[in-house]
Amino acid sequence: MMRAVDGGLKGLFVMGQNPAVGSQHSGLQRRALASLDWLVVRDLSELETSSFWRDSPEVRSGELRTEDIQTEVFLMPAASHVEKEGTFTNTQRLLQWRDKALDSPGDARSELWFTHHLGKRVKAHYAGSRRQRDWPIQQLRWELPEEGERREPSAQAVLHEINGFAVEDGEPVGGFTELQNDGSTACGCWIYSGVYADGVNQARRRDPGDMETPGGWVSPEWGWAWPANRRTLYNRASADPSGRPWSERKRYVWWDEDDEKWTGYDVPDFPVDKRPGYEAREDATGMDAISGSDPFIMMADGRGWLYSPSGMLDGPLPTHYEPVESPVENALYPDVGANPTSLTWNRPDNPYNVAGDPRYPLVATSFRLTEQHTAGGMSRNLPWLAELQPEMFAEIDPLLARQRGIEDGGWLTVITERAELEARAKVTDRIRPLKVEGRLLHQVALPWHWGFYGPQPGDSANDLGVLAADPNVSIQESKAFSCDVRAGRKKGS
Amino acid sequence: MPERLGFFTDTTVCIGCKACEVACKQWNDLPSDGGELRPGASYDHTGELSASTWRHVRFVEMLEPAGGHMPSLPASAGNGHDDVDLVEMAIDGGDRWLFMSDVCKHCTHAGCLDACPTGAIFRSEFGTVVVQADVCNGCGYCIPSCPFGVIDRDQQDGRAAKCTLCYDRLEDGLEPACAKSCPTDSIQFGPYEQLVERARGRVQSLHERGIESAYLYGAADAPGEELAGGLGAFFLLTEPPERYGLPAQADSPLEEGVVPATVAAIAAGLVAAAGVAAAFALPGRPTPAKQLLSRVRGWPR
Repeated sequence: MMRAVDGGLKGLFVMGQNPAVGSQHSGLQRRALASLDWLVVRDLSELETSSFWRDSPEVRSGELRTEDIQTEVFLMPAASHVEKEGTFTNTQRLLQWRDKALDSPGDARSELWFTHHLGKRVKAHYAGSRRQRDWPIQQLRWELPEEGERREPSAQAVLHEINGFAVEDGEPVGGFTELQNDGSTACGCWIYSGVYADGVNQARRRDPGDMETPGGWVSPEWGWAWPANRRTLYNRASADPSGRPWSERKRYVWWDEDDEKWTGYDVPDFPVDKRPGYEAREDATGMDAISGSDPFIMMADGRGWLYSPSGMLDGPLPTHYEPVESPVENALYPDVGANPTSLTWNRPDNPYNVAGDPRYPLVATSFRLTEQHTAGGMSRNLPWLAELQPEMFAEIDPLLARQRGIEDGGWLTVITERAELEARAKVTDRIRPLKVEGRLLHQVALPWHWGFYGPQPGDSANDLGVLAADPNVSIQESKAFSCDVRAGRKKGS
Repeated sequence: MPERLGFFTDTTVCIGCKACEVACKQWNDLPSDGGELRPGASYDHTGELSASTWRHVRFVEMLEPAGGHMPSLPASAGNGHDDVDLVEMAIDGGDRWLFMSDVCKHCTHAGCLDACPTGAIFRSEFGTVVVQADVCNGCGYCIPSCPFGVIDRDQQDGRAAKCTLCYDRLEDGLEPACAKSCPTDSIQFGPYEQLVERARGRVQSLHERGIESAYLYGAADAPGEELAGGLGAFFLLTEPPERYGLPAQADSPLEEGVVPATVAAIAAGLVAAAGVAAAFALPGRPTPAKQLLSRVRGWPR
C-alpha cells in the first residue's frame, strides 16, 4: 500500500473488499488507489473503492483533482453467494458446500469464472514469448472443465485439485498422508486434502447423524473439517495422561486398550497407535520425540505453551501495552507505552497523535452495528437495512456532551492528525467515561460502516485512524486511538 | 375450520437484531420508510408500527444498577447536579436493554374489524385478522378503533394496512416470515392453544430461575379479564406493559360501548359519495352494533 502511495505499484485487483472505507487511515488508502495505473474492482455494485476518483473527500475538498488521477478503473459485476457454487469455511474449520440457486444477472460472474478466464488470457498472451521470466506462465497447468453457455469452470473440479490426486490417473487421494514427494501426486493445499476423498464432495454432506446417541452431536458427516475431518484440534487432551476421559460426561477421544488404539467420537488428533505410556527418548526426533501423554503434537515438545520462547514476536508472555496512540501512560511499563514490536509507518502522510498531546485528550473506538455489514457495500445500498441505521453517528457520554456544548442528535466533528469526521451525536448512558490515573477519560464510539458513495453517504470512521498494525499477523489497530471532538460540522460542510 | 394460529413473542430471548422487520418487509414487499436518525439513546430508528412496517423491534433502555434506582445521566446532567455525583453514576452504572418485537395482536375482539364498513377486514380461517387491500376504500375508521395503534393508512394509496400473519404463507403451509427469520425463537408461531401452553411453561420456568416478573401479556388471563378478548399474537414480558408502549387494558371500542364510526356515519346521514354509499348499502348493515358484530366476527363465537 505504501509502495502504491509512492508510485511503485502498477495495478491492483480488489475482489469483495472496500479498502477506501474499510482499511485504516482510509484517506491514505485512497491516495494509494489514485497512484495506480489500473485498478480492477469486482463487487455486487459500485462502491467507494471504484468511485473514489470522482467523489472522495479528497476530490471534493480539491486536494485531488479527477483530471489528475491517472488510474484506469475497471468495475466488474460479481455474482453473489447464491449465484455461484463453492464452499464457505467457518472459524471452526468446517467447509460447507453451497449449490448455486440461480444464475447471476447480466454480466455478473463468479470470482472463479473471472480468475479462470483471466488466467487463460494471460497464458494466451505469453504463449509466444521467448523471455525466460514468462516460462512459468507457459508451463502453468490451467485446465478446468467449463460448463454451460457462460463457460463457468467447474468448482467441483477445483475442489478435486485442492484435495490432491494421483497424477497418472487423476484418482483423488484420501488425505494428506497419501501425498508423495516424488511427483506422483499433486495437491492444491494439504490441509484440505481429503475433502474430495473417494471422489465424493465431502463438504456437501448434510447428515447431522443421530443426535441422541452418545457423541452424536459431533456430526462428522455434516460438511467436512480441515484437517482430516477433525472437529476439535488436539483432542487427545480430552483424556488424562493414561488415556481415560477426564470426565465421563464429556468423553470425546480416549485410548482403547483392547484394540490398542485411540478412538472416540472425533477423528483422534494423535498417532492412532501411540500408547499413552510411550515415553520419548532424549535423542528422539520428529513425532517420536512426543510422548504418549503430550497432546499438542504441532508443538516441538507436544505441550501446550503459555510461555512461548519462539513464534510470537512479542512473546514469550502476553502482557499489557497501550495502543499506539493513547492519552495515558502504560501503567505496567511507563517507559514503553505501546507495543515496541508493533508495525508502524513513521512518515509525513501517516502522522501520529503523540502520547500526552493535549489536543487529543479523548479515546476513540470503532464498532459495528447489527444492521449494517462491514464497510457497507452490501448493506448501505439495501433500503430495508439502510433505514434501520440510516446515518453515521458518534456515541458519547452526557458529561462530554455538556463540556463541549454538543446536543443529542446535533452535529459533532471528530478530529485526529489524519482527518476530520462529522457525524450526528448520540448522547447515551452506555458510553461511560473511564477513570484512569485519577482523571476522567471520555470515549467516542464510532460505527465504521459509512462511506462517501451511495444513497446514504456518511463520513468513514477509518479516515480518522493511523496506520499501525500488530507484529504477528498485521491486524490493523483500529479499535483505539486518540482524538478530540467539538460541536458542529467539519470545515467546508 | 383449521386451528387458530398465532404468535408467541418471548421478549426475554429477543436480541434486537431486527431480522423480523427485514424479513417481513421483504416477504410482503413493503417499502423502506427511508430511515431517519432518531434522537435519544436508542438504536431504534423505526419508531412505530405503520402501514409499511408490520414488525417493529422496540428498544427499551433500562438504567438499573444492582444497588437500586439510578437516574439517567442525561436527565441529571441538565438539573444542576454536581459533577461528582454524575461521575460516580457514570462509572458505576449498569444498564440493560429490553427488546420487544411488536406486531398486530390479531385480537379476538378486533377493533379494526368491528369498525370496517366494507368487509375489507375479515377473520381468516386461521383466526387471524386480515385486510384485503382491493376491498378497502380508505375510510380510515379502523385506525382509531385499534386499541394498540397498530393499523395505519398507506401514505401512497390511502388504504389501511397491517400484519396479515403472512396469510399467503399460511395458505401454503409455511410459517410467517418474521418467525422463520428469528434467530433466537423469540418469535414463535403455531396453533394458538399449543403456544399458550408453551408460554405458560416458559413463564413457570423463568419464575423458577428467579425471574419472577415474567408474565404473559394477552394470553392465559382469567375469563372476562382477557385483553381484547385474548390476543392471537401475545407476549411474554418482564416489565409493566407501559414500559413497552402497550396498554394495560384494551378492547375493541365496540366492547367498550363505543358506537362504531360506520354505524354513527349512517345514523348521521353522512353518506355523501356514491361509491361509499354503495359500500355501506350492504344488506342488513344498519343493525345494532352487537348484532352486526356477531355477523362480521367469524371468531371465536
